[in-house]
Amino acid sequence: MDVNNIAALSGNLAVVGYGLAAVGPGIGVGLVVSKTIESIARQPELAARLQVTMWLGIAFTEALALIGLATPFIFA
Amino acid sequence: MPNTTSQLFAQVLKLSALLIGAIALVGGVIGWFIASAAGLVSALIGAAMALVFASLTAISVWLGGRLSLGGFFGVVLGGWILKLVLFIVLVATLKGATFIVGPILFVCVVASVLGSLALDAVAVMRSRIPTVDTTKTAN
Repeated sequence: MDVNNIAALSGNLAVVGYGLAAVGPGIGVGLVVSKTIESIARQPELAARLQVTMWLGIAFTEALALIGLATPFIFA
Repeated sequence: MPNTTSQLFAQVLKLSALLIGAIALVGGVIGWFIASAAGLVSALIGAAMALVFASLTAISVWLGGRLSLGGFFGVVLGGWILKLVLFIVLVATLKGATFIVGPILFVCVVASVLGSLALDAVAVMRSRIPTVDTTKTAN
């Protein structure tokens, strides 16, 4: 096997960046939602307030996804 | 000052639409001077994408709040995945288009998203959501 070919990459490297732009916020939203479920299970009477707080957390996290996925417009 | 979740989301949606409309207007004028019609179209498309993206989260939480806990998370997270897929398809479609100017579109998207985030944060901080929702226990 030719050792030089093991690390050879072809294609557009920017695609890896778009993937990372989805992975990061995906983990973030997952954490926000899991903690909200945990909190609602502990105190169901606070569900309405926790849902509003969760929405704010999701909004901030997914903004990163949006900005990351919009980068083809400037880096293409 | 909103004191129910419905009032909060209605206020957030209204303020976000006003802000993004203003960004579309200013961005459209600037885009017109930079790249004539293509700049104007780019600013309008960017603002529209940001409006849909920002509004869908608030609407999904608002509507999902009326469902059971499983339904709530299904609507919110299902809406999130749907939104990302739609956005990727839109970006892939628009990427090679000749009628848009990429940097203008990008700046409009980012400005709209950051502006609506600031509005969301202010609206939540100023709201007074009670622990017990009295509108649901009227009878």
